[in-house]
Amino acid sequence: MAHWQRFPTAPAHLVFLWRMAAVLTTAVITAIALAISGRNPFELAELVGRSAIGSRFGLEDLALFMTPLILTGSAVTITRRIGLWNIGAEGQFYLGAAGAAAVGLYVPGPSLLVVPLMAIAAMLCGMAWILIPTLARAYAAVSEIITTLLLNFVAALLVYWLVTGPWRDRVTGALVSTQHIHAAIPEMWGVVHYGFPAALLVACGVSVLLGRTSWGYEVRISGANPGAAEYAGMPMRRRIISVMLLSGALAALAGMFEVAGTVHRLQGGMANNFGYLGIVVAVLARGSCLAVIPAALLMAFILDAGIVMQTQQLAATTVLAITGLVLMLIAAGDELAHYRPVRTTPPAGTIERNVSA
Amino acid sequence: MDSAPHQTAAGEIPVLRLAGISKYFPGVIANEAVDLDVRPGEILALLGENGAGKSTLMNVVTGIYRPDAGEIIVDGYGVSFATPHDAIRSGIGMVHQHFKLVPAFTVAENIHLGWDETPRRITRDILETRTKALSEQFGIPVRPSATVADLSAGEQQKVEILRVLSRKARLLILDEPTAVLTPDEARDLFRALRAFREKGNAVIIISHKLDEVMDISDRVSVLRGGRNAGTFETRDCSPPMLAATMVGREIVRRDLRARRPDAKPVSENPVISLVNAGVRDSRGVMSLRDVTLALHGGEILGVAGVAGSGQKELTGLLTGLCTPAQGEVLIDGQKAPAGAAAFAEAGIGHIPQDRLHSALAPSLGIADNMALREYRQAPVGGDGMYRSDEAADLAKEIVEVADVKIPDLATPIRNLSGGNQQRLVARREIRIAQKALVAAYPGRGLDIGAVATMHRYFSELRDAGAGVVVISEDLEELLNLSDRIAVLCAGRLMAVLPAQSADIDTIGMLMGGRTAPDDATDHAADHQAGEG
Repeated sequence: MAHWQRFPTAPAHLVFLWRMAAVLTTAVITAIALAISGRNPFELAELVGRSAIGSRFGLEDLALFMTPLILTGSAVTITRRIGLWNIGAEGQFYLGAAGAAAVGLYVPGPSLLVVPLMAIAAMLCGMAWILIPTLARAYAAVSEIITTLLLNFVAALLVYWLVTGPWRDRVTGALVSTQHIHAAIPEMWGVVHYGFPAALLVACGVSVLLGRTSWGYEVRISGANPGAAEYAGMPMRRRIISVMLLSGALAALAGMFEVAGTVHRLQGGMANNFGYLGIVVAVLARGSCLAVIPAALLMAFILDAGIVMQTQQLAATTVLAITGLVLMLIAAGDELAHYRPVRTTPPAGTIERNVSA
Repeated sequence: MDSAPHQTAAGEIPVLRLAGISKYFPGVIANEAVDLDVRPGEILALLGENGAGKSTLMNVVTGIYRPDAGEIIVDGYGVSFATPHDAIRSGIGMVHQHFKLVPAFTVAENIHLGWDETPRRITRDILETRTKALSEQFGIPVRPSATVADLSAGEQQKVEILRVLSRKARLLILDEPTAVLTPDEARDLFRALRAFREKGNAVIIISHKLDEVMDISDRVSVLRGGRNAGTFETRDCSPPMLAATMVGREIVRRDLRARRPDAKPVSENPVISLVNAGVRDSRGVMSLRDVTLALHGGEILGVAGVAGSGQKELTGLLTGLCTPAQGEVLIDGQKAPAGAAAFAEAGIGHIPQDRLHSALAPSLGIADNMALREYRQAPVGGDGMYRSDEAADLAKEIVEVADVKIPDLATPIRNLSGGNQQRLVARREIRIAQKALVAAYPGRGLDIGAVATMHRYFSELRDAGAGVVVISEDLEELLNLSDRIAVLCAGRLMAVLPAQSADIDTIGMLMGGRTAPDDATDHAADHQAGEG
C-alpha cells in the first residue's frame, strides 16, 4: 500500500521534472487555444522554433532579451534573499537608462572612457531612485512593495519628459527619443554586445557575494528569520540598505546596457516591462542567483516567440497570457515536487529518498 | 481536573456554568474539560500562569472562539454563541487586557460604537448627554467629551467598563485589570467591582497576583495546562497554597549540584553584574527596574517567577539584546559593550526562550544555523568571506558533541525534532560560553530525556567555570539544579535565595509579590513595603 505524502523538502530533481512538465503543459494548452481560434499550432510551433532558436538572428535576439532580464532578475532575487520585494526594477531601469544617456549625450570622448562612466552614472541614478523606499523601509518599516512600485510610474514619465523636452532629438527629429548616442558597448557576435557576458558575470558575482561572504550570510539569515539576526546581533538595518541599493544599481545597469548596447538612444517606454519581468524571472529562479540565468532564458524565449506570433497577426497580449500560464503551472509543479509516494508504515518526519517511478 | 460540584444553594442558578469545555489549536490543548460555575453576587478569580488557558477560556465564554466540546449554560439555559454579540446579548461583557477602544474617538463615541441602542440621529450633544447619564447610573465617572488617546490607562479602563455595563452585562470579565493601574486606580476599581457585586451581578477577574486575588475574590479557580486544577473558597486559601496549585505537581527535590572533583571553584569576582539595571518596554513603561544581581563563574543561578514578571527583560540585559534604560551592566567588572554580537564575542552564550523564532533560521540548513555564532571568525569567516565547507565542518563537530542523528547538513533545521534543535542550539552556545550561558526555559516543550541532557550540559559548563543562568517556570528544576535562586515579580527582583535551603512556600510568596517573612535572603527585598 503506497500513497502520496507531502514532504517538507522538495528534492532538486523532482522540482526539475515537474517544471519541465509545467513548461510542456503550457505549450500544450497554448497549442489547444491556438487550434480553437483557427490556427494551426504545429505550423506556428515550427515557425517559432525555426526563427527563435533555429536561426542566427533568433539566437542573437534571445541573447539581447536575456541581458536585461538577467540583471533585473538578479535585482529582484537579492532583495528576496533578505525577505523584501523590489517591485521597482522598472523605474530603476529607466533611471539607469537616463543616467547613462546623460553621460552619453554630454560627455565627449572615446567609448572606452565614456561607457564605464555611463555605467557608473547609471548605477548611481538607480541607487538614488531606490534610496527613499530603502530608508523608509529600514527606518520606518514602510512597505517597500508599494513605494518601489509607485516610483516606476514617476520614472517612466520622467523619461518621457526628457525625451520629448530637454533631450529630444534635434538632429533627425525622431519622436520620443534622444539623438543617437555614439558611445556604445562593443558588439561581439552579430548584434550581441559585451553586455551579455557582463550580465552573466554579474549573476555569478552576485551568487558568490550572497553565498560566500559574511555579508551574504548575514543577508540570508536576516531574510530567513529576522528574529535570529537580531539574536545574533547582526546589523540588519545596514544590510537592508546595502541590499536594496545594490538591487537598484543592478536594475539600472540593465537600463544602461539597453541604451549603450542595444538601442543607442534613450526612448520613452524603452524599459519594455523588463523590470516587471525581472520579478517573474526571480520567482522562477526561486531565490537562487544562478538559476536566474535559465529563468531569464525561458522568459526571453517567450518574448521572442511572442514577436514571431505577432508577425502571424496574433495579439501582443499572447505573451502575457503565456507568461501567466507558465508562472501558475510552475508554482503548481513546485508544490507537487513536495509529494512522494510512501509506503504506509514509516512514520512521517523521517527523511527518505524515495524516487517516484 | 475536577471542580467537584459545588454546594450551590437551593434555588440559586449560576449566572454562568461551563461544563466540559475543550478548545484545541493545532498541536496545542488550550482548554480541556473545564468545568466552572459563576454564581450571582460573587467575584470569582481565575488564576493561572501565562499559557494556562485563561484567555482562551474567556474567549470561548465571550463568543470569540467556539468550543470544540462542552456546554455553556447561562442562567440555566444552554447557549451557543456564534459571535461576540450573542454573548453580549446574554449579559456577558469582557474588558480585555489590551483595550479595544478607538483612540481617535471621544469617550462618548466609544461608548456608543457598535451598540443597537445608539440613537439613529447622533450629534455630539446627544451622545455626550447619554454618556453622562450612563456614567451617573453606573457610578463610573468618565469625561464624555475627552478623546480616548489622551486618557490614562486607568481612565480608559473605566470607559471599557462603562461600555460593557451599559450593554446590561450581569457578568463582567476583567483580564488582568490591575496590570496597567496605579495602586490608587486599582483601589477605585475594586470599590466599583464590589458595588457591582452587591447588586447581585457576578465578576470573573483574571489575575496572577496572589495578594489581589486574596483581597477581592470570593472564590478562586486555578487553571493549569488548560485544565481546571481546582476551585476553592478564597477564605480557605493562602498565597503559598495557591502558588503551589498554580505551578503544579508535588515538587521532588533532587540534588544536581554535585560537582566533579576537578571542577573549577566559584569565581571570586562576578562574570556579569547588573547594577540597579532596568529596561523600558516599547510603551515606555519600565518593565524591569532596580535589579542588582551578580553572576559568578562556576555557579548556576536559577530565576523563578510567574511568566511575564520581567524574565524576558532580564535575559535581554544579560545577553546584550536590551540596552539598560537605567543602571548598568558589567562584564568582568567593565562596562559591557553594546549589542548582542559583542556580548557573544565576550563569551556569553544564550539559549533563548523560543529557539525557532530567535535562535535558528528554520528554512536554512544545519550548517548555516550552526555558524551563527562563529561566522565572524576564522576558520568560517574573519576576512569578510563565508566558507561553507568550514561551516559544514563546524556543524559536524557540533552535531557530534550534541549526539544528534541527522540525514545531512543541508537539511532545513525545521525538519529536526524540537529536542534535537534544542541540543544543537545548546551546544552551539556552550562553545562560545567561556564566561556565561543564559538559558531561558531550556526544558520547555522537551521530553524528560532531553531535559536531563540539558541539565547535564549546564552542570558540565558550571564545572568548567562558567556562570549559568537558568530561567524556568519549573520550580523543581530550579531547586534541583541551581546554587542560588533569584525570584522576580512584576518586573522587580524580590530576592536571591540559596537554593539548598530555599523553601518552596517562601519562593511561592515572593513570586506572588509578597515579601519574604524571614531574613533568609542575601538581597533584601526592600521594594515592597508591607507586612512580613
